[in-house]
Amino acid sequence: MTLSSILPPERTLFDVTGGSKKRVLEFFSTFIAQNTPSLDSQEVFSRLISRERLGSTGIGNGVAIPHARSPHCKAPIAGFLKLDDPIDFDAVDGDPVDLLFVLLVPEEADDTHLALLGQVASVMNDADTRHQLRHSESQQQLHEVLIEAIHRHADGESSRPE
Amino acid sequence: MDSINSIFLLSGALIALSILASRLSSLVGVPLLVIFLLLGMLTGEDGVLGIQFDDYPLAFLIGHLALAMILLDGGLRTRLKTFRVGFKPALVLATFGVFITSGIVGLVAMWVFNLSLTQGMLVGAIVGSTDAAAVFSMLSGRGVNLNERVGATLEIESGTNDPMAIFLTITLVEILVGDIGGIVETMTFLVTQFGLGIVVGLGAGWLIARLLRFLDLAPGLYSLLALALGFCVFGVTSVLGGSGFLAIYLTGLMIGNQPGRHLNFILPVHDGLAWLSQIGLFLVLGLLVSPSQMVEYLGPALVVGLVLIFVARPLAVVLAIKPFFKFRWRETGFIAWVGLRGAVPIVLAIFPVIGGVENAALYFNVAFAVVLLSLVIQGGTLSPMARWMKVEVPTGTTPERRGALGVLPENDYEMFVYHVENDHLDDVPIRLLRFPSGALISALFRQHAMLHPKGSTRLRLGDVVCVIGRTDDLPALNRLFNGEARLKRERAFFGTFSLAGDALMRDVADAYGLTLSPGEQEMTLGEFISLRVGGHPVVGDDIGWHGIHWVVSEMEGNKITRVGLRLYQ
Repeated sequence: MTLSSILPPERTLFDVTGGSKKRVLEFFSTFIAQNTPSLDSQEVFSRLISRERLGSTGIGNGVAIPHARSPHCKAPIAGFLKLDDPIDFDAVDGDPVDLLFVLLVPEEADDTHLALLGQVASVMNDADTRHQLRHSESQQQLHEVLIEAIHRHADGESSRPE
Repeated sequence: MDSINSIFLLSGALIALSILASRLSSLVGVPLLVIFLLLGMLTGEDGVLGIQFDDYPLAFLIGHLALAMILLDGGLRTRLKTFRVGFKPALVLATFGVFITSGIVGLVAMWVFNLSLTQGMLVGAIVGSTDAAAVFSMLSGRGVNLNERVGATLEIESGTNDPMAIFLTITLVEILVGDIGGIVETMTFLVTQFGLGIVVGLGAGWLIARLLRFLDLAPGLYSLLALALGFCVFGVTSVLGGSGFLAIYLTGLMIGNQPGRHLNFILPVHDGLAWLSQIGLFLVLGLLVSPSQMVEYLGPALVVGLVLIFVARPLAVVLAIKPFFKFRWRETGFIAWVGLRGAVPIVLAIFPVIGGVENAALYFNVAFAVVLLSLVIQGGTLSPMARWMKVEVPTGTTPERRGALGVLPENDYEMFVYHVENDHLDDVPIRLLRFPSGALISALFRQHAMLHPKGSTRLRLGDVVCVIGRTDDLPALNRLFNGEARLKRERAFFGTFSLAGDALMRDVADAYGLTLSPGEQEMTLGEFISLRVGGHPVVGDDIGWHGIHWVVSEMEGNKITRVGLRLYQ
């Protein structure tokens, strides 16, 4: 399961209006439920929010990686949001967040879940990638930058631990 | 008159040279204390200046003074909260551990030097204790940030194990010169040494700490008063038959853990005093030894030293720690390696000289050689060893400067100065920062001009920010101003994601699909990890579970408040 295969261009969202952490997650849940019929927006939202309650998924540098398991999820689903204005996300470094990589996985795929999370983290931990993402001008460019970064990390770091 | 002038010149030049040489230490990697010793030796009879110095009583006096000052400073800097994890193991090491180390080294010394059992044991006793000066300075000087369990154990051990070594040494010296009392008398001596040391040290320390907080003095006088009263405690305890060294360490501990503005005046001065003591002490000891004489004992002394480092200390540490405490092997290994010997053995080796023991030169020279060996081998490899044994915890940003405002006598506000070096704080309005509620940015400097910060003011890289807040706000502030490089290191160590320590295991298991036993459902994550590491967790503790590395990343007292998730990939 590669990360790039579960992130189609239409799930890369450009210039999303943030507002607050709750609003963004609500927005994404609604969006993903429309995009993937098997999912229920309320269910996705409550799963994402309960994960946030355990500790923010804001990993610092303005990046958050909300993630959850969902019983209605058939295969791993990724989505990316670039906000027009950074929002407070309770992140580890306290910085406001403007880049969100959301990950939903089926309940049985626990190892895949962790592997995917690790990949997302290593992609988003790269300062260059973040810079390019922040300076992307369109949805398409955003997607290209992401896919390219994912491939770069898959090639370069496949043998290295996180 | 001439001699006074030359003493001025000589001591001034030596101390200045030692301080300048400390730069060399960080460049070349030679332990600092070795440089001081070598400088002393170079000045001495076989060195360049050829100064004859064999005034053992004077060296003995200087040794006591310096050790007392170093221990006082060590106590001042030891945080009482580290006793949570370090006290019990340190106590076992300081008593039982010293006993075993001394015993093994003693037997070997007996064999290589062809001594009687008592004489051999005296060698063992002299080199039996780790040295507070050496340990404190090596730990702080190397920029090694050890995990709390290891750091606290080593520090407390080195602060408290001298009485045991002193006791053994004095007892053995007395046996050798033939005025030893019975077993009962010897045991009473041991008990009074420790008992009085503890009681007087803690009691007087508590009173002195109160007094210092209560008094309103000129800033420069606090540290002098602390030192003077510390010396009083040392003297009173020793006269009563207790261990002055233990007492003054505990006094320092009590003073250093009484928060208040006086500490800000005391700590920097004592830092300087401790340095002066170390430099002076090692210079004098270097002067005292005659390298030409030492060569005679060098071969066998090296054997003793190597046995101490590679057999006696590790064995003592394993026996003292492993059965009673849940230390990991690598932690035990590192503690075994950092059995640094320093000034204490050399000062102790003066006891036989002064006590008039036969063949006293042997003890002194052997002790000297062993200390030198220990400083070079163990001290020189401290940081690589810490890295190799994985007992380090990455340090985050700390304020560039901090200082109490001196407004409230207790629980004062402080000013913290930070540099904005985190890329992502660039161009962020102040109101969006996750700031601790009690703290505020009081001033912002940009290109040598002071700005009036408002909620809408956007930070820039390179800004200097003055924050007014309380000590409790520090963790949050440090996190906020953490630079990119540090953040990366921390992320590599603690993992990318983190969970709150009070999250329920049931919910955590639900989020990551983990299987729990029924009893674990209702635990918090913090309790669960704490249980898995065997109680008394410290920052940096980790367990591998369900394909995730769970790393303790924040603690409050004995409670885990944040846990990092490091994913295997």
